[in-house]
Amino acid sequence: MSGSPNTRLLRKALLYVLLGAAALAILFPLLYALTVSFMTPDEAARFPPKFIPSGLYLDNYRTVLERLPIPRYILNSFIVSGCVMLAQLVTASLAAYAFAVREFRGRTTLFIIFLSTLMIPWEVTVIPNYQTILQWGWKDTYIGLIAPFVATGFGTFLLRQFFLTIPKELHDAATLDGCGSLRYLLTIVIPLSRPALGTLGVYSFLQTWNQYLWPLLVTDSKNMRTSQIGIAFLRTEESISYNLIMAGVVLVLVPTIALLIIGQRQLIRGLTAGSVKG
Amino acid sequence: MEGMERDRRLSRRNLLRLGVGAAATGALAAIVSACGGSSATTAPTTAATAAATTAAGGSTPAAPVATGAPPPATLPAATPKTAKNANATKLTFWHALGGVNGDIVSSLVNQFNDSQTDIFVQDIFQGGYDDELNKFRAGLQAKSGPHIIQVYDIGQRFMIDSKATEPMQTFVDADKFDLSQFEKPLLDYYSVDKKLNAMPFNTSNPILYYNKNAFQAVGLDPTKPPRTWDEVAAAAEKLTKKDASGKPQPGLNFAIYGWFFEQWLATENALYADPENGRGAQRATKVVYNSDAGVKILDWWKGMIDKGTASNLGRNTSDSQTAFAAGQAAIIVESTASLKGIINKVGGKFDVGTGFYPRPTTGGEQGGIIMGGAAVYIAKDKPDKEKQAAWKFVQFISQPKQQAFFHIGTGYFPIRKDAYDLPEVKANTAKFPQFQTAVDQLHANPSNPATNGAVLGVFTQSRTTDVEGAIEKVLLGKATAKAALDEAAAASNKALDTYNASVK
Repeated sequence: MSGSPNTRLLRKALLYVLLGAAALAILFPLLYALTVSFMTPDEAARFPPKFIPSGLYLDNYRTVLERLPIPRYILNSFIVSGCVMLAQLVTASLAAYAFAVREFRGRTTLFIIFLSTLMIPWEVTVIPNYQTILQWGWKDTYIGLIAPFVATGFGTFLLRQFFLTIPKELHDAATLDGCGSLRYLLTIVIPLSRPALGTLGVYSFLQTWNQYLWPLLVTDSKNMRTSQIGIAFLRTEESISYNLIMAGVVLVLVPTIALLIIGQRQLIRGLTAGSVKG
Repeated sequence: MEGMERDRRLSRRNLLRLGVGAAATGALAAIVSACGGSSATTAPTTAATAAATTAAGGSTPAAPVATGAPPPATLPAATPKTAKNANATKLTFWHALGGVNGDIVSSLVNQFNDSQTDIFVQDIFQGGYDDELNKFRAGLQAKSGPHIIQVYDIGQRFMIDSKATEPMQTFVDADKFDLSQFEKPLLDYYSVDKKLNAMPFNTSNPILYYNKNAFQAVGLDPTKPPRTWDEVAAAAEKLTKKDASGKPQPGLNFAIYGWFFEQWLATENALYADPENGRGAQRATKVVYNSDAGVKILDWWKGMIDKGTASNLGRNTSDSQTAFAAGQAAIIVESTASLKGIINKVGGKFDVGTGFYPRPTTGGEQGGIIMGGAAVYIAKDKPDKEKQAAWKFVQFISQPKQQAFFHIGTGYFPIRKDAYDLPEVKANTAKFPQFQTAVDQLHANPSNPATNGAVLGVFTQSRTTDVEGAIEKVLLGKATAKAALDEAAAASNKALDTYNASVK
């Protein structure tokens, strides 16, 4: 980088200022939610809007926790999202392996059928799925929340495309050394596919975490609801108190953000490990 | 070579970690589902109930409602999940009232369960009215619905067509239940072809809210709210002021809510649908809200927008409430059910006044407002014993004492006249005279097909998508009132035709 130390310093300072401004712009909604959660009802309804609460009004949190078992909802969401993520990782990698590495007759046709399921809008499947779940007596259970999402056409497609980039020579060499099919999948393909697996895992976790209609249909009892429903329940038909809703939102956000901070290093390390050869 | 060894070892370790994680999650899921899957009382549930009771023990509910809201007499924190009598007939009751109102409903259910041991009702909050109805719709064919369900006013046609509910008239006739004390407009609303379909539960009507302090500041009489459209326009003009930077602050706001439009049609004694608003023997076959009466409403509204005396804050009624509470709009229209919420949001900053819903200056003699809110339906495909038990529950919540309790805690008004004679109601009205407006309006209301409200299979779509879309277009200056309403009516009619064909 050319230029005297002063210009370099100036450039660096400018860069940090721009980055800081961008960070503030992106974080602003979250920060606002945090500040509103500490406001009294009439402070929250004021115009021009207040950004700094006059005090730490903790009653919003107390009300939300009294009214709804938020920690339980968060736990439910974690369990359901975690199970769906793991299930999808397992089923998608097995199916993708079959489509990418193994050769058998009708492979392409079957894969196209898998792909075609991506074109079915979920609205079409919601009601039949719901009725099946009811018939099997899985209403109001974890398995009812998890079951329809255990397999995914999208995940299969994603992983297959990635598995195809693994050179066939590797498979041949392994077979020559006496490596069986499953062992090849588990010990060679999976570790090499960390980026794709990471992507699919995060994607499926978030998709399930954000679900609203399906958990609403399947669950009835107060203890089985998920966090999205919990927040929605803070709205009432008659009048909306944003200070309460923000308190609920912050409570639901806290564990996910904490997890992200803790797991961030692991996530990045896992995604990039093995990407450099040798 | 060595790198690959390390990679492989690492991957096995990671695989092991993954496996342990999966096993742990699976085990956790199994344990928690065993504990929390059913609705029977278990350790987690009783712990939650105990914690909630100690937290809320005896104190008034949530601080936000504390300002100015009289605490309900006794409020158990959570509905106990088991019946005292194991052989009791168990019923499920779906409702869509959340927050404080939901607590009042739970309290009512507890009162019923405590008063006898033969029947145990479990109330389940299913989210808003639309979510609840969607869930009910989804489960129709599987016949796994609740025994009693609360559905909003405009869902009436759908409930009739679903054939999943037993008309309330059957129970009334069988028991010769006395309906004489019940408010006639409510019974009229929930009857089609003289047959009562549902028992009104929480009823509201739209009223005008105004800022008394703002009125006084501009020389308007704070004890006399504007009654007619012209009076409202004139008041809005006086209340429109320029703020510090010279930008005009409109004096009035109406949320773009199809319900308000529907109500204004009724104040003009105009029909929403044909024939007879769907109230007679024949179901509604087309919508007629694009009549001159409809155009008149939008012309009046748009006139104020053009003059800058009314603001457009969009479709959300809560935004309208917030503007009112923040002193940005001195006049709004809203449901009487929001009265408590608005008073809390205002937080004592100014005096909240209420008045009758504005009517047209001329041509509104026979007009009035339509009842809003929701009613309870009893399911049909259940054993007779359970249906009779459900009817007992419906009777209980319709008693004067229970209606009074519900009214004082929520702001909805009682469905029967004799509830007003109770001392607690009289005390409440003395403390909150704003409540009386809705009641007076109810009693002054004439009864005719226009004010009885329309019965339409596609009401939600026509009111929300079509009508609100038309209002938006007009207020934004994108179309004339007649053109926008015609377009909306065409869309509603198309949907109505499809619906009617599907229920033949």
